[in-house]
Amino acid sequence: MRMRFATRAFLWSFIPFAVLLASSFWFIQQRVQHTVRGGLRLSLREAHMSMARLRRESELQNSRFLRIVAENPPLKAGLQLLLVHPQSAPARLTLEDQLREIAETLRFDFLVVSNSDGVPLAGIVRIDDQLVGMDISRLKPPQQGFFTMGTNTYQLNSFPIDSNQENIGILSIGERFDLSEFSTPTILAQNGKVLRNSVPNASPSEVESAIAKCETQAECETQIAGETYVTLASDTVNFGDGYTLRSLQSVDSISRPVQSVVREVFLIATLGALAAAAALSVFSSRSIVRPIATVVASLRQSEATGSLPSFQSTPATIHEIRELIESFSRAASALRESRENLQQAYIEFIGSLAGALDARDDYTAGHSRRVSEYSCAIAAALNISGNELEVIRIGALLHDIGKIGVTDSVLRKPSRLTSEEMAQVQQHPTIGRRILEGVRGFQQYLPIVELHHENWDGTGYPLHLADVRVPLCARITHVADAYDAMTSARSYRSALSHEAAVGELKRCAGTQFDPEVVEALLHADANGKFARNTGSTASVRHLLALPRATSEVVL
Amino acid sequence: MSIVTRAVSILLTILTAGLSLRAAEVEGTVIIQRRLTKRKVTSSADLYQRGTAVELGSDGEQDALAFERSHVVVYIEGNLPSEKVTATLNQQDRRFSPDLVVIPAGSSVSFGNLDPIFHNVFSLSKARSFDLGNYPKDQSRIVTFPKAGIVFVDCHLHPNMSAAIVVTPNRWSTKADASGRFVLSGLRPGTYTIVAWHRAAGFFRKTVRVTERGVENVEFIIPLDTDRVVEQAMQ
Repeated sequence: MRMRFATRAFLWSFIPFAVLLASSFWFIQQRVQHTVRGGLRLSLREAHMSMARLRRESELQNSRFLRIVAENPPLKAGLQLLLVHPQSAPARLTLEDQLREIAETLRFDFLVVSNSDGVPLAGIVRIDDQLVGMDISRLKPPQQGFFTMGTNTYQLNSFPIDSNQENIGILSIGERFDLSEFSTPTILAQNGKVLRNSVPNASPSEVESAIAKCETQAECETQIAGETYVTLASDTVNFGDGYTLRSLQSVDSISRPVQSVVREVFLIATLGALAAAAALSVFSSRSIVRPIATVVASLRQSEATGSLPSFQSTPATIHEIRELIESFSRAASALRESRENLQQAYIEFIGSLAGALDARDDYTAGHSRRVSEYSCAIAAALNISGNELEVIRIGALLHDIGKIGVTDSVLRKPSRLTSEEMAQVQQHPTIGRRILEGVRGFQQYLPIVELHHENWDGTGYPLHLADVRVPLCARITHVADAYDAMTSARSYRSALSHEAAVGELKRCAGTQFDPEVVEALLHADANGKFARNTGSTASVRHLLALPRATSEVVL
Repeated sequence: MSIVTRAVSILLTILTAGLSLRAAEVEGTVIIQRRLTKRKVTSSADLYQRGTAVELGSDGEQDALAFERSHVVVYIEGNLPSEKVTATLNQQDRRFSPDLVVIPAGSSVSFGNLDPIFHNVFSLSKARSFDLGNYPKDQSRIVTFPKAGIVFVDCHLHPNMSAAIVVTPNRWSTKADASGRFVLSGLRPGTYTIVAWHRAAGFFRKTVRVTERGVENVEFIIPLDTDRVVEQAMQ
């Protein structure tokens, strides 16, 4: 996968952070839940214990007070009356009336009088704030604990009614059991059936199914209406007849604020880590990417120019990057050196090739070297330098390479050439081009090789190009070639003097030669920068026989 | 000695009365200074709903005093002619009705139960103690009161029910009306001890001289207010 160094650095620095944060977040959340659960269990147990203690105390107080209620003489009289007339409705009404009065003054919700065997005789119950008599024959209220009648559940306590040291009956006093006195959600169930519950936002069936899972355990955890609760069944008080009282504590409602704080803290930490990782990765990658980018930029440049760069001063402060750039520099300079060597070898080869070519004929010995020198001098006078000058130097050295394809008989013919032979000779620029065309790196010399016989007025060969359509390098070589031909001896003529040759060049400037180039030659000569041809031994005997100097110069 | 003189004087009075054959009246007023009874009444809207017992008279002072005045019994002491009657004292709405009965000695009272529940009537008073037991609706029991005195009647089953029966020595007895007025008529001239009794305040005695001519005016101030007594003494 391709990605930027900064991205990679960011990912590598942030991912461990993220993993660390995520795992610690999870861990802390677990701890919070665990701690909350533990705390809740403890508080539930404490609440149960204090509830049981309060209950015991209040029951003790209640029992003292209710014992006095049972000692009520009219009640005893009423009970005795009913015992004497067990079937009498007025007697039962009398007793009910007395119970009603007791309930009215003492605010009881449920009162039943039984005989000494526990058979209920009369009872009243508060319904819609009215105390009404009950059909006692079908009721079997317990002496102690919970008793459910209709939709109400009563908590009962019983006390003996004694008369003259003899137990004549039992008074059962009940108060409506109300969950609102419990501070926590509470469930009252009988044999798994929920009678009352104060669990918020939960239907009785939901509560019932949630509680069913806890049936065997006193302490358990359960889900009701999407909330997690810890519940504890009260075992300190006996409620009798399958009744269980469970109090609940919501784990979620307690841990929610803590968890939201934890979440906030972790969100901030994550954002902080994100920002820190981004900043750090940008900062740290910059010290690496910047020097690399510089190197890459100069490499791109060298790709375009073809010259290998060298790094004298490296911008990098990082040891590895410095090392990299330095070794790259070393490799580049080695490459450059080998390329230069190769170039040198080429040039030497070309030089020797040119030399061999020139050596085919005594008269043309050193011609290529000299043309190259003259061309360079003219080019210098035209303010050409650097690579262009180098092209001219080598191009001029090679300008007659095509003569390889011209037979020696034609080339070394001392007499006049026939038109056929002349045509053969005039093939040499084209042949030269064809030879060098296939050699890599020689394309730049092709114009000189091919066009160094084109005349300024378009009368040259092989393409008959005129004026500036012929490249400058070819025009320069053309002049240099002509000068050397004129100042060199041939089998059919002796060499012209420098002055004569220059005069001839001047004469033909504007027709055969580019005047500017001729001017440059003159200028170079005037400045002494032009090395005149003095080594000529050839006779000039044929010189005058030639109608045009230029026609000889062709050779 | 005094008993002899008293007996003689009474004899004389009777004789003179018998001789004159003219009867006189004793008129009077009972003035109640303040509320004496803390009445508790259990309302009886219906059978199945009895209200909490409330104290009466806290709102209307005048009403309360009228109640007190009508619960004052005035009678003449002394062995005068009596007249047996049969009074009725019913139990209705968990109350004795009426709650104050005045009868001459030797009379009877019929105790009827009009409530759908059982009631009981008993008395522990010295003048006449009895226990009629529990009996249901529409039954009644009769008790004779041969001796003069105050008899308090209660119900075992309903301790807040109570009534008083004033058994007077003779037929000259009455209850003051709501305004406190009372009249004892048909007395022969003589000197009598007139007694006013209120359950909470007790006995108040006054001596009156009854002449042939006139109407004797007696004023009872209940309870005895020391300031008022001193005031009267100064006048």
